[in-house]
Amino acid sequence: MPDLCIYFQAHQPNRLKPYSFFDIGRDPFYEADDLNRDILNKVSDKCYIPATKLLLDLIERHPEFRVAFSLSGVFIEQAEHHRPDVIELFQKLVATGNVELIAETYYHSLCFRHSGKEFARQVQLHVEKLQSVFGVERPRVFRHTELIYFNELAHFVEALGFEGMLAEGVPALLDGRTANGLYRSPNVRTLKTLTRNCQLSDDIAFRFGNPHWPEHPLTAQKYAKWIAREPGEVVNVFIDYETIGEHKWEETGIFDFWSQMPAAMSDAGVNFATPSAVLDNCEVLGTYDVHAPTSWADTAKDLSAWKGNTMQSEATKKILTLEAKVKAINDPDLLHQWSKMQTSDHFYYMCTKGDADGEVHSYFTPYPSPYEGYMYFMNALSDLQIRVDRLSEARP
Amino acid sequence: MKVLMLGWEFPPIINGGLGIACLGMGKALSKHVDLSFILPKVDPNFVVDRVHLTGLDHLPLGQVRRITEELAAPSETLYETFAEVDRIEADLLPYGAERETKGRSEIAVPRSKPTTVPPTRAAAAQVRYATESLPAFAAGELYGDDVHEKVTAFAKASAILADSREFDVIHVHDWMTFPAGVAIKQRTGKPLVVHVHSLSYDRAGPDSRGWIYDVEKSGMEAADLVIPVSKYTGTIVTGHYGIDPAKVVPIHNGAEPVEPYRTKKAFPEKLVLFLGRLTSQKGPEFFLEIAAKVLKKDRNVRFVMAGTGEKLKPLIEYGAYHDVGDRFHFTGFLNKQKVNELLSMTDVYCMPSVSEPFGLSALEAAQYGIPAVISKQSGVAEVLTRALQADYWDVDLMAQHIVTLLTDEDEYQRAVDASLEDQKNCTWEAAAERILEAYDSHLSLCTLG
Repeated sequence: MPDLCIYFQAHQPNRLKPYSFFDIGRDPFYEADDLNRDILNKVSDKCYIPATKLLLDLIERHPEFRVAFSLSGVFIEQAEHHRPDVIELFQKLVATGNVELIAETYYHSLCFRHSGKEFARQVQLHVEKLQSVFGVERPRVFRHTELIYFNELAHFVEALGFEGMLAEGVPALLDGRTANGLYRSPNVRTLKTLTRNCQLSDDIAFRFGNPHWPEHPLTAQKYAKWIAREPGEVVNVFIDYETIGEHKWEETGIFDFWSQMPAAMSDAGVNFATPSAVLDNCEVLGTYDVHAPTSWADTAKDLSAWKGNTMQSEATKKILTLEAKVKAINDPDLLHQWSKMQTSDHFYYMCTKGDADGEVHSYFTPYPSPYEGYMYFMNALSDLQIRVDRLSEARP
Repeated sequence: MKVLMLGWEFPPIINGGLGIACLGMGKALSKHVDLSFILPKVDPNFVVDRVHLTGLDHLPLGQVRRITEELAAPSETLYETFAEVDRIEADLLPYGAERETKGRSEIAVPRSKPTTVPPTRAAAAQVRYATESLPAFAAGELYGDDVHEKVTAFAKASAILADSREFDVIHVHDWMTFPAGVAIKQRTGKPLVVHVHSLSYDRAGPDSRGWIYDVEKSGMEAADLVIPVSKYTGTIVTGHYGIDPAKVVPIHNGAEPVEPYRTKKAFPEKLVLFLGRLTSQKGPEFFLEIAAKVLKKDRNVRFVMAGTGEKLKPLIEYGAYHDVGDRFHFTGFLNKQKVNELLSMTDVYCMPSVSEPFGLSALEAAQYGIPAVISKQSGVAEVLTRALQADYWDVDLMAQHIVTLLTDEDEYQRAVDASLEDQKNCTWEAAAERILEAYDSHLSLCTLG
């Protein structure tokens, strides 16, 4: 009988406003402040507040219930500014001791391929943020943006001192082996990798509430039975926290599903485990050899959600090449602003894929089309380049 | 002398340059002749001194009844043959205006209010009544995509309206009004002048054939005088359409005087501007390639592509492919005020049109003291004779011209002076006088007495 390891991702980007050519050189503020506040408020009311209250309640009633969270740095920052009530609830949740916090890049970014140094800075920033807001120890487990994983990254993350890392369990790479357990990249010494069970995760994240799904409606009891008959030591169910109440509205029964989850699992004999507990108690099943980056995004499960077309390639490249100049200026506000433009969502909005992937992208985007997303980003980037150049010249 | 003009667009209901040209020409001509216009649509709040405007969407009720009765009677006029040509592609919007696509996309919003916007409820009722007897209008949208039906309806209604008018010359603007002009000439025997602002050749290239080509050709053949807006377009009229050169008199458009101003740019780079619809005719891809070439030599330049059109999205991706997204900016559609703001900070204007009958925007840029780099396949090249020119496809030479202007200050100043001087001669007053001279010489009418 496997354990169940649940991990939630909570994240909100700093979306850019319709920054036009005429703003370049004139307007140093790029973000759609009102929109970002409104979205945070909406998601707080639909998800962060009621879902976190539910989890608190469940932990009180079922002391064996465990979950893990990663809260992106930019999300924590937005919530601190606009919704301190959300932060307070998360603080209470962490204080129960039943919740493990996981580290990621503060800016939910994609910078590793470009600069290990910048990547390490953002990880450290996130760790410090978690320590200061939640009073926790340094997290033992790391996850990269949208579960991006590959050998080289695993090696780097190990060198940063982490013991475990989360990854998408890509069926082709598992090559017939179960995702339910721990694996290890061939080029690391100790770092263990928790592979996500895509099927059982997406049953909640995507298929839940879809009346055309033969398994609809999915109840906690049915789900517990599925978990109980899985092979392996641990089933890794990794999903967006916003699934509860935001991607899946209350009407779908998602809150009922979660409120019955702990009891249903206990009836089925399934225990809950945090990622750290999995590291401590489970065996490494074998080598997970990932040469090219994988992620949990889109059907391709690679980087194509952010780097699949020329607009995305150009935008990601050009924001990151500013690193040396921005850092040389040594202005914390400028550094922060530049870093926020690395958030993966900006590039996600520029995706031109169609079909089911395209639908998911267009669900999240604040822009009418990927082209506006690109235009506004590049205009803002042009302004940033100009400011960076001016500040560089002004330096002695 | 009385001139009856037929137009398709007129401010404020405009789509491209045609309406602007009709207004400028009309104002200047009205100082010499009695001028009236028949148009498919007018804005009753838009009044021009000494120019009488009649819109088919704002007809007095008595006239509507009379037209309806006359249309009910059997007739054998030329335009009936057009009505029989009924199965053509639905994409025949005048000037290739892109249809409004769904969604909130700002880059999909058309340049300006197209002529096909639904009329007010009252106006719609009137026009529907006026064309009641036409089977094509019995059902479906009155202002849908079936331009050929609108053109035919316009021809029939204008011809009937013209019966009760006194005039010495029929002067029509572009193919949408040619069938009407031909019909009026047949009924009245008055001389017909067709003014050519744009041809299907410009929009679709030398292979263009089909209904619009036929309308253009038969209209020009029936005319007593053909006035293309440039010698360049004149060569297409005589060459591609085989019109007798003896009756072709090219006359350049004028430009309304503006009050140019300069704005300080908020960025250190030089600014090169492209302004126009993003359609093949305007050569936006060439502008992008020119930009990429210039940027290889000099990073201190920004390029702006102002306007929208069906090429916008591919162009944006093409720009990213060329890795110029932080130096090449798209603005989408801009209103006149924003266009002027842009002109006020522009250093070089670039117009790489594939086929441009005139190219008023280059002249407007010249009024702002902006030197232009223009394609040889444009009418304005005959006016801005000292502007740097290249074939539209010669992106290397275009790029070289731009680099020259941006790096050689003496050359730049010479180009500014030359364009300011060249544009001075381009007034609607001068154009109106040439039109009257052409009336005199080709229609045997004494107008300049």
